Amino acid sequence: MVHILGINLPDNQLARFALTSIYGVGPHLSHRLCARFQIHDKCRVRDLTPFQTTALSSFLQSPKTALPVAQYPLASINFIPRPPSKSIQELQAELNAARAAQKQKRDEKLQKMGKLPVENAKAKVGGRKAPEKKSRDPLTELRIESELRREIRENIAHQRLIGSYVGRRHAMHLPVRGQRTQTNAKTARKLNSLDRW
Amino acid sequence: MVLALSRASLCRSLPQGTVCLPNVRTYANTPPGQQSPFKIQNVKSSATPKNKKAFSRKNRIGAFRSMNPSQLTVPVLQPRSSLSMPSFKPELMTENMIGQVVAFNQTPNDPIKYFGTPKNMLLEFRLLSQRCSVIRNITILTAEELNSAASEPSHKTRYVLTGPSGCGKSFLLLQAVQYCLAKEWIVIYIPRAKTMVNSTTTHVYDLRTQTYLQPNYAQQTLRRILEVNSANLQTLTMRDGLSYDRRSFSSGTTLAQLASAGSKDPAISSVVLETLLTELCRQSKIPVLLAVDDFQSIYNQKTSYRDPHFSAIRPYHLAIPRFILEFASGKRSFPKGAIIGALTAADPAFPVTNELMDELGVPGVHPRSPYSKRSKILQEYARGLRNLPVPTEFSPREAASVFETWMRDNALTAPANDELFLAKYTESAGNPKAFVWQGILGTLEGAAPVVNESTSWPQLREGRI
Repeated sequence: MVHILGINLPDNQLARFALTSIYGVGPHLSHRLCARFQIHDKCRVRDLTPFQTTALSSFLQSPKTALPVAQYPLASINFIPRPPSKSIQELQAELNAARAAQKQKRDEKLQKMGKLPVENAKAKVGGRKAPEKKSRDPLTELRIESELRREIRENIAHQRLIGSYVGRRHAMHLPVRGQRTQTNAKTARKLNSLDRW
Repeated sequence: MVLALSRASLCRSLPQGTVCLPNVRTYANTPPGQQSPFKIQNVKSSATPKNKKAFSRKNRIGAFRSMNPSQLTVPVLQPRSSLSMPSFKPELMTENMIGQVVAFNQTPNDPIKYFGTPKNMLLEFRLLSQRCSVIRNITILTAEELNSAASEPSHKTRYVLTGPSGCGKSFLLLQAVQYCLAKEWIVIYIPRAKTMVNSTTTHVYDLRTQTYLQPNYAQQTLRRILEVNSANLQTLTMRDGLSYDRRSFSSGTTLAQLASAGSKDPAISSVVLETLLTELCRQSKIPVLLAVDDFQSIYNQKTSYRDPHFSAIRPYHLAIPRFILEFASGKRSFPKGAIIGALTAADPAFPVTNELMDELGVPGVHPRSPYSKRSKILQEYARGLRNLPVPTEFSPREAASVFETWMRDNALTAPANDELFLAKYTESAGNPKAFVWQGILGTLEGAAPVVNESTSWPQLREGRI
């Protein structure tokens, strides 16, 4: 039994399906989470390594403070790997040195061409800060469990505050999205309210 | 009066054929205020506790669980084969043996048991009382090619078996594997290469190789290679030592010991597999065959795996498919040996790609133009592959042998005669899979009715009533 955010994930389930039991995580987000932590599609919860479990829990507890994923270099067609005796630290140091050398080379080239390096150029667009590109990765703006419920509560409260139709309908425990009320509004009467979550 | 009318209208409104009886109360509806006399109430059985999870998967013992075959000691349940056929030997690969069915016997290093087989072949071997296959002219041709490959580097003998669905590519590959094993080659057979790219095994990024390792798959592969080739691997030794992850192997260690260590520990299995293949590429004593079924699955641009940024991982960025691609393209080569791949024609998840079809000269289902999508890297990995087309149909002699084998194994429901054989051969157009599965096993024809001449009633003669 693996516990993530207080939710018990059954051992026998596929990890990709088990993660959907978290409020706010559906099939697509679950697939993205598994990809981020290198969990293959048919991995069962009992096959998860302790490292993967702790990485998942710590990410889900605070998605905003998680470190961004590094870009892994991938082997080209004629790549020959180093011998196995080299340690990870040496390889990482070599990679960092190679990346720094590449960056320096690029900056020198840009300066030669008269163009400034990218970071300085960004700050000077029209006197205002250039708008940041929205990331396509939904995991960067992940909201789950209590945060998501709070957001929904805030949205409903905002609708009421501005005196909108949607807010009034929530307050009256009636359907909000234009459904019929002459018959069949039972779910709305039971569940719709201002303090729904 | 009113009551009679209403009852009549009720009768008319019901569908035709229902019998309308007056004054009948159905027992489904109890009169109000009374308990139904037929409902079982307050029955508490002490034998079955009121456990909500009683039917959950954990608690269910199951209606049927098959016994271990070794526990079946009763004589009537012992497997008996009514088939008697010669066993597969390299000496049988001659022209006059074309059309002969030969059996794959159980040996201590049986490749069918340890490497496994594709699914369709597995089902067929389960149905037959002995695992066998027919020798075709393409088998003799392949055997001759392998004979000449035994003394040449593997980059000169890289074949891909092609043909329509059901023409016998996987069977031919298995025959090649059995042939090479009998000739004491080292054989690496991967019957379902799809399983290494469809995201069913663990993958983990490795900075040294800059690829995604597959430790569990590597461990399984090492175990299989060791079981089948242990005798040969014990005669070969490592030239250089290996030290990795606090484990070290000195330079004289046998490849069998190396493979054994790798097959027990998934943490070092990827490095051990890499070292084993490198050592096999250095030794020129024993020829090596690398046989891969589902060959096209590693030539698909995208595998089912996703990297942490959610883009699809390419097959050449996964460790084990990369090894196969390197051997198939000639970038790595055994000093003596061959590489044979067999395509799976009808797999929608991993279709045969443009790069392979171009290189092999196969027409393909859809027309291709110079503007169709091709990957330069995969084209590079496909360079030099040669097409070995498998004949699309059985010759009548081969089909007759197969028919006789199934007939002797009591698979036919209809009386076995020339008419049935020719009918099934024609219906399947000679296609081997269709001939066996839809022709022989799928026929609904039963025994012909027996005519009883002695009855006086003509309609009872054939026993039809």
